[in-house]
Amino acid sequence: MSNGRNREYNYAFLDESSKREIRRSVLKAVAIPGYQVPFGSRELPIGRGWGTGGIQLTLSLIGPEDTLKVIDQGSDESVNAVNIKKFVGICTDVETTTDTRKATIIQTRHRIPEIKLRNDQILVLQVPIPEPLRIVEPKEEVTRKMHAEKDYAPIWLQLYESIIKYGKVTIPTEYPCMVEDRYVMSPSPIPKFDNPKLHDADCLYLFGAGREKKIYAIPPHTKVVSLAFEDVPFEKESFKGKKCRICGSTDTYLDEMFDSVTGEKFYQCSDTSYCKEQCKR
Amino acid sequence: MKKLHNFDEVFDGQKVFRKILEAVSNPGRKVSISEQAEKLYGDNRVFLAIAMTLLDNEVSFSVCDNQELAESISLLTLSKEASLENADFVFVENADNLDEVFEKAKCGTLEEPQKSATIVIKADNKCNTAFEIYGAGVDGTLKLEVPDVVEKALELRNRQNYEYPQGVDIISVTSGGELYSIPRLVMRRRA
Repeated sequence: MSNGRNREYNYAFLDESSKREIRRSVLKAVAIPGYQVPFGSRELPIGRGWGTGGIQLTLSLIGPEDTLKVIDQGSDESVNAVNIKKFVGICTDVETTTDTRKATIIQTRHRIPEIKLRNDQILVLQVPIPEPLRIVEPKEEVTRKMHAEKDYAPIWLQLYESIIKYGKVTIPTEYPCMVEDRYVMSPSPIPKFDNPKLHDADCLYLFGAGREKKIYAIPPHTKVVSLAFEDVPFEKESFKGKKCRICGSTDTYLDEMFDSVTGEKFYQCSDTSYCKEQCKR
Repeated sequence: MKKLHNFDEVFDGQKVFRKILEAVSNPGRKVSISEQAEKLYGDNRVFLAIAMTLLDNEVSFSVCDNQELAESISLLTLSKEASLENADFVFVENADNLDEVFEKAKCGTLEEPQKSATIVIKADNKCNTAFEIYGAGVDGTLKLEVPDVVEKALELRNRQNYEYPQGVDIISVTSGGELYSIPRLVMRRRA
């Protein structure tokens, strides 16, 4: 559905100079997978921390031939997703869709769609904290040096401490991964469940952090390994014995829902588009 | 008013960027920017299409003594010409310049590898050498046939022994607008 373009804005809202800078940063990010390329994050009519990095990437990529899908926590209908779709629609008039297969650009927060993405699709992730080392080192100049020297001992120590304390790694989202054996990267707040989808994918992943002014990328067919020890392998969330109450799927990422009246607990697919598709079959 | 160039900065620029992004994301894949380059005037239209897409007053370029090209790029993009050591983008037409280009082109630092040059090489259509490329962006290996100038560029890049993530990224483009890229992380071996 097209919203009709407001021609008082430049096409895709950003001025061409801003787009060019973001585009140059994107190309460097793709050439150096997992490396955070700094960029001059622009002001947008939306607060920083609400997806401005992803929006700037989308606006720099998008053209009249694109079809846009926006999801938030897997849902096409949440407030953030709907508003971003409306905003991009107002300044570009591109088609928007909820069908993952029809989209050429998918902007997302917190999830990678269940359907395997194609090589002609670009997944744009909104990232709040791009620096995986921030939890162990507060200073940007130090983390930059740590990346330069491939000094990732503190993050390994964090994983080790978690195992010692709790018997397993307790990081639920933003689980760090190693890209092409060189950079430790934060895969944005996607659940661990989605981490394996980053490895050797067909599509291009672009990550934009507007508040932190960083862009990074994983090109197709890139080696992405979630950090783990030989004797404590990486484990994604397990939904064994549970299924979606709507479509019955047992192999998707499930949201836990709770009926406050009856106290009943139930599960349903986080990816609403996939869930609807399964129901139609 | 009759314009010398009809390249639309907004829409043609977006299309060329997406083609370049496809090429950089999928090393060795050939894409075409001929439709957009046709809207520019002169012998250097493919270089100008890339320049108008990526260059502005925030970055610098070098053209290896092709002053006509330098003037056109400066005029169209407001980008400043710089020495090979400082240029963000280097446009190479003549294979004889490649030795100097790879010797001097900036490769970034371990802390800031993005401060490295992108080398855009004009190649002919005649491919004399075949090899396999592999690395990030390539599904296993990909057989690629390249002209001598690209073969020489890759050989010279190898000789620099950059410590990754330092390095330079190569974009090859023919005068007909066929473009492909071999970023720094992509390696080659004999087919």
